[in-house]
Amino acid sequence: MTIQFKSITELRAMLDTKSISASELTQESLQLAQKYKELNCFVTMNEELGAKNANSIDLENKTTSMLSGIPLAQKDLFCTEGLRTTCSSKILSNFIPPYTATAVKKLEDAGSITIGKTNMDEFAMGSSNETSFFGNVHNPWKKGYVPGGSSGGSASAVSAGIVPAATGTDTGGSIRQPAAHCGITGLKPTYGRVSRWGMIAFASSLDQAGPLARTAEDCAILLNEMSGHDSKDTTSLNSSVPDFLENINQPLDGLKIGIIKEFNLSDLDPEVQARFEDSKKTYEKLGAHFVDVSLPNISASVPTYYSIAPAECSSNLSRFDGVRFGYRAEDTDDLNDLYIKSRSEGFGDEVKRRVLIGTYALSAGYYDAYYKKAQQVRRLIKNDFDHAFQSVDVLMTPTSPNTAFKFGSKGAQNPVELYLEDLFTISSNLAGLPAISIPHGQVNSLPVGLQLIGNFLREDQLLNASHIFQQNSDFHLAQPNLEDF
Amino acid sequence: MDQETVSTICYLARLEIDKNKSKKIIQDLETIIELIGSLQTIDTSSIDPLYSPLEMTALTHEDIENSDNKKEKFLENAALSNEDYFLVPRVVE
Repeated sequence: MTIQFKSITELRAMLDTKSISASELTQESLQLAQKYKELNCFVTMNEELGAKNANSIDLENKTTSMLSGIPLAQKDLFCTEGLRTTCSSKILSNFIPPYTATAVKKLEDAGSITIGKTNMDEFAMGSSNETSFFGNVHNPWKKGYVPGGSSGGSASAVSAGIVPAATGTDTGGSIRQPAAHCGITGLKPTYGRVSRWGMIAFASSLDQAGPLARTAEDCAILLNEMSGHDSKDTTSLNSSVPDFLENINQPLDGLKIGIIKEFNLSDLDPEVQARFEDSKKTYEKLGAHFVDVSLPNISASVPTYYSIAPAECSSNLSRFDGVRFGYRAEDTDDLNDLYIKSRSEGFGDEVKRRVLIGTYALSAGYYDAYYKKAQQVRRLIKNDFDHAFQSVDVLMTPTSPNTAFKFGSKGAQNPVELYLEDLFTISSNLAGLPAISIPHGQVNSLPVGLQLIGNFLREDQLLNASHIFQQNSDFHLAQPNLEDF
Repeated sequence: MDQETVSTICYLARLEIDKNKSKKIIQDLETIIELIGSLQTIDTSSIDPLYSPLEMTALTHEDIENSDNKKEKFLENAALSNEDYFLVPRVVE
């Protein structure tokens, strides 16, 4: 019996009825990873420890949680004790963390089995997974096409059915956009809902960890375990965590969904627009109704983000200096030369570009004009959301303006072209709001995603609205044809 | 963006730009600065910056010694170290 493309709930049933053991499940998952090696989803596999942990679950012979014995993949941005963690960068290509990130530890404590670390854009800086030191990840739906980014390896691994779910992180859309391009479900929780401790920081006020899975129901299972206060993260929220799984079957009668007027959807590919209109009709049939809302400053999200995120990254990435961990250049004249050469040889072009932009935005004479200005506009954007949520429950947009594209076809001449891919996703990071992407059809045989943005700490509403949609559609059940891999 | 500004930023960031790529990198930086410069048209005269979506005081915990000090493990990740320190090129002659 193959486990490929099975959801967590399906695998749970197989484990509970003893039709498969945790060890067999882990082995099959590892074999699938090997079989589809060409997708390049994984940077490092965890065969030995994964097998050992699965065996322990079998020996315990009791189910302690929904995730007990379930194989998962972790984005290679989460520190994992004893297991190489690279952030898909040359500068961390030999880094073995002495501790495990809280989000991963919670999933492992719930009995899940980490089978490997997934490929990503270097330091999560990218929307196509083309900036990884370890090479491009293929989209399982079409060879030579991007899976999206930055959590491209996680999205590709779930989409190809290698694992039922994986972790990702989202700074400007890095869970939702690859989920959309790969035809799966991905949730960025509220900022502070999931601990950032042990995540290698890109932009600390925007980064948030979350799940990628085949269904909203499976995302709820992961979020239940990942969420909660962590005293090790000073921005971790000390709020109660509802049972997300328990709340996903509420009827949608009366749900008010906002459509953002400032996003001119008629500019999109007519087919992307058509899928969006189809989904509106589905939600209307389910009892929801639509309200036009205005977020006057939302169009400024992309420039705001590309001032704030590089500024924070230039500060965070100053820790990579070749001294305490990571790559160190050889033949250096003095300490300063060691810093410069280690960083210049260790970072890729996109990381350097963002560090330089951030350094510029924070430097004397430019701080007020770029960094402070962007943080002021950020407040205007957040105020717009606060105002909108006075009249609606959730907001709905396409996840991405386009489907997945060919390797090398975007951003090579002008990086801003690729930055605009994040048009619909970035604003919820700036405001710290939860948002989810669910598959809602295909355009030219490639998946497209629907985004729902929720109010602060209302992941329950997003998961509920997504689950009910998936109970009344079959887009999330579509599987890629992997014969080219 | 003039060469002097680029050199200053590179020094502040402790980065060297590959000479073969410098023209393209400067062009990219100018494009991005033009993008973020578009914010200047928005009136923010009475708006406080929003540095974090939470706007709460960072949580603190008591400074209690615990078992997380794994000196050997931390030192293992360095390219060069002895039993107590990370080693770097000589700074003081």
